[in-house]
Amino acid sequence: MNNRIKEYRARHDLTQDELARKVNVRRETIVFLEKNKYNPSLKLARDIAVVFGVPIEELFIFDQ
Amino acid sequence: MKRGLIAIVISLMVLATSALWFFGTDDHKIGFEAVSFGVIVILVGFGLFFAWRRLSSAKRGEPAEDELSKKIMQKTAAWSYYISLYMWVFMIWFKDRVTMDTEQVLGAGILSMAVIFFVSWIVIRLRGIRHE
Repeated sequence: MNNRIKEYRARHDLTQDELARKVNVRRETIVFLEKNKYNPSLKLARDIAVVFGVPIEELFIFDQ
Repeated sequence: MKRGLIAIVISLMVLATSALWFFGTDDHKIGFEAVSFGVIVILVGFGLFFAWRRLSSAKRGEPAEDELSKKIMQKTAAWSYYISLYMWVFMIWFKDRVTMDTEQVLGAGILSMAVIFFVSWIVIRLRGIRHE
């Protein structure tokens, strides 16, 4: 699974720290997500999608 | 915050008691005692690093733990448990081939478990947690 968190974070002019605060996780979790080193829980994926105002499937790309 | 402070206190107590033991022995320059003390110092450093991470997170207003840090800890615990089982089998084989006291074998085993946990944590962080 890949994601476009870094791209959307840049579009919304948010730092990793700010995004982490908005979804109540540690900053390193955002770092891991952006490096595709961690697959988030459904709740965290939903929370991040809500922050960016996009559907989850827009943010997370599932491998076939 | 509270757990970070507790980790610092425990780490310093371990270091102090280890130093008392090490500098209380007569021939501490080389040998098993020196290696053990070195490993203990490294592990205490690891404990202090954990505590510092917790305290700095608390200062920044981050949660002390989140889903990623919990998963890393769970996986580290599982890995180190499995690896430690093999390590103890090795120690049983090893103790018949060297002249070591039972206390030394047990001490080496316990220290090895801590080292295995430390290494597992680093490897899991480097690899990441995906497709689980």
